[in-house]
Amino acid sequence: MVIESLWQWSPALVVGFAQNILISLVAIAIGSLLGLLIGALGLSPLRILRLPARLWVQLFRNAPWLVLIYFTTYVFPFEIHIGSTYLPFPDWLKVTVGLALPASANVAEIFRGAIGSIPGTQWEAARSLAFSRGQLFRSIILPQCFKRMLPPWMNLYAVITMGTALASLVGVHDLIDTAQIASNTVNRTGFTVLIYFSVLALFFAYCYPISRLTQRLERRYAFY
Amino acid sequence: METFVQWAAHLGLNYRFLLDAYQRGSLIDGAWTTLLLCVLTIIGSLLAGITLAAMLTSENKALSRPARVFIEVTRNTPTLVQLYCAFLVLNMLLTQAVGAANPLTPFAWVVIVISLHKGAFHAEALRAGIEAVPAVTMEAASSLAFSRRQLLWNVQLPLALRFALPSLVNNLIDLVKMTAVASAIAVGDITYASIMIWTQSDNVLELMILMLSFFGILSFIVNCVGRALEARLRMPGYGH
Repeated sequence: MVIESLWQWSPALVVGFAQNILISLVAIAIGSLLGLLIGALGLSPLRILRLPARLWVQLFRNAPWLVLIYFTTYVFPFEIHIGSTYLPFPDWLKVTVGLALPASANVAEIFRGAIGSIPGTQWEAARSLAFSRGQLFRSIILPQCFKRMLPPWMNLYAVITMGTALASLVGVHDLIDTAQIASNTVNRTGFTVLIYFSVLALFFAYCYPISRLTQRLERRYAFY
Repeated sequence: METFVQWAAHLGLNYRFLLDAYQRGSLIDGAWTTLLLCVLTIIGSLLAGITLAAMLTSENKALSRPARVFIEVTRNTPTLVQLYCAFLVLNMLLTQAVGAANPLTPFAWVVIVISLHKGAFHAEALRAGIEAVPAVTMEAASSLAFSRRQLLWNVQLPLALRFALPSLVNNLIDLVKMTAVASAIAVGDITYASIMIWTQSDNVLELMILMLSFFGILSFIVNCVGRALEARLRMPGYGH
């Protein structure tokens, strides 16, 4: 009986989880692009460019994610006025932006860490071969960085996916929201137990392989 | 206070709720609740972390396997879902079992869930610390006829703690930020108090600034205490 209702609700749960995954993918995409830009600014020799980057990273790494999500949800308008057309700005997109902000700060830090982890000899060797600064970054430092950034970046993605659970608190119709509706509709003890633990299981099934893969990559890149 | 509100009004920020005794009171109560939540969960998470780390590093499979499973599940699922599983499911079952005598308030559930959640992260940091103690140090100590217990308390754990301290402090800063999820089950922390205020007076931005500074100060304090502890525990030859 309880299993039957879970089976009935499972399509709705899958749709809800798809919403979570969509939010996480868009958030990591925006976060990565923005984060690399900010990370690059943070490396600039000009203080005036470095300072805003540091500030951005400090601000968004130290703010609770939930507070940032509330911030983007309530402060941003519900539609954007471009020229004469109104583009809707749905709640899920606001949550995505709310997650992309801390993601960008973390990506910037991962980038900075990766650059810092390249041995100083690599820089010196490249300079002694008369590479320009641009060439040095493009053909020596960055290719080594991206390999080192991959494991922490994947870890960040898993954390963001788990962060999408917060979307339900600002009224996005995601997996947890669906589970709450289902549990209130069916209103049976056994079903409530089952549905919340299936939510847990779904998140675990998605995030655990990512974390395993991260550990494998970390071990593989550990020596060289 | 008045001058601050007027000064903020010049900048276009509406801080008038600070003059209202009720709203100011609820915000201050919220701040205290968050502070209490932080202190209790920091203690609870450290205790949970030490217990889990002891289980993890034990030779006994019956202890280390459950700890490993618990940690993997905790690290790979959202805190909010864990909180719901605890508060909406376990709490419901408990209430059905013992009726109105259920001793656990939402506040207690948040403390338990966040303690266990961060405890899992602490345990991993401590395990890494224990494994980072060089084997030669342990061999040297055992060649000096240290007993197993002495070896653990006088050599392995002091070193492990020092190795693990930076990541423990990092976890604790994360913990401070994580307490904001308490508002999801209507614990009256600062986030919840702010939501209550901005639903009435539509001043989200002002409250956000207040909340971000509050959490910023809290994590700054934890960071400073961590740095001070690191400096105090520093041993020549280990770390830098």
